Amino acid sequence: MFRLALTRLSQVARTSTLEATLPAVTVGRSMSKHSTETDEELDARYEAYFSRSDIDGWEIRKAMNDLCGMDLVPEPKIVIAALKACRRNNDFALAVRFLEAVREKCGRKEKAIYPYILQEINPTLQELGISTPEELGYDKPELALASVYD
Amino acid sequence: MALNPMYRRALALTIQQVSRQQTAAASTVSKIGNRDVVGFGMNGTPSYIDRVDFPMPAIRFKENTPDIQALREKEKEDWKKLTLEEKKALYRASFCQTFAEMKAPTGEWKSVLGITLILSSLGIWIYMWMKMYVYDDLPESFKPEHQEAQLKRMIGLGANPVQGISSKWDYAKGDWK
Repeated sequence: MFRLALTRLSQVARTSTLEATLPAVTVGRSMSKHSTETDEELDARYEAYFSRSDIDGWEIRKAMNDLCGMDLVPEPKIVIAALKACRRNNDFALAVRFLEAVREKCGRKEKAIYPYILQEINPTLQELGISTPEELGYDKPELALASVYD
Repeated sequence: MALNPMYRRALALTIQQVSRQQTAAASTVSKIGNRDVVGFGMNGTPSYIDRVDFPMPAIRFKENTPDIQALREKEKEDWKKLTLEEKKALYRASFCQTFAEMKAPTGEWKSVLGITLILSSLGIWIYMWMKMYVYDDLPESFKPEHQEAQLKRMIGLGANPVQGISSKWDYAKGDWK
């Protein structure tokens, strides 16, 4: 009985000393997997997460992968927060990759959505000196990869 | 004093487990060499993969060489000072293929279609050979005269008189309706 109490105590101590965990949905009591979070709450959650001043590269990448796994195109303000997080971590390639990923998320409506996003984030691009993938020439294939089967 | 055999076995198993864990950790690190582990990737293992649905892999693509280290130092300052070549070098140091290269058509469909058609035509050649050399001739009852005689007998017997063949024959006239 004491052993059980001790393990519980150590578990609680461990979770409380962990760094800020990834943005998690805080719902009262959800009986199904369906999330009750609104769009604005999701936007605010991710923008707040990327805006953390002590965010590190691992957390940025995890949050970006999670965001790209969702069925949505990130709002410009989330993109801006993510780009600024890349700047804080001194990772230029990550910023370009994220822009490529955002373009990919637009799917078939790319011609309608992607120019709008670029237009909204342009001040941040100018301020931080981030080139878009198109400026780097990466909207067309540049290098070919030899097949592993040959 | 000899240890109890049970304790000795437990000790041996523990040592084995610890050494196995150490070699596992060492082999993971040696698989990726000098590359930085930078993220969670797809499943938490330090692997690199280009996927459009997992844009950020767990490790950088290239190993840390001195010239890449120099670029990283420059990366810490203002990015406006980076030249185009340096920006592209930084991208390629972290990633293998761009999205455009990942999604570029491979032309594999041409080989798939070509091989499918070749195999289909081979099948048809084999059928023709079988028809010429293997199958028996069709029986006599397939000849037109035999078929007419069979039809005449069916009408004479009144086969399928309600909606079938005999319903189409006018018995009074002696001809088709």
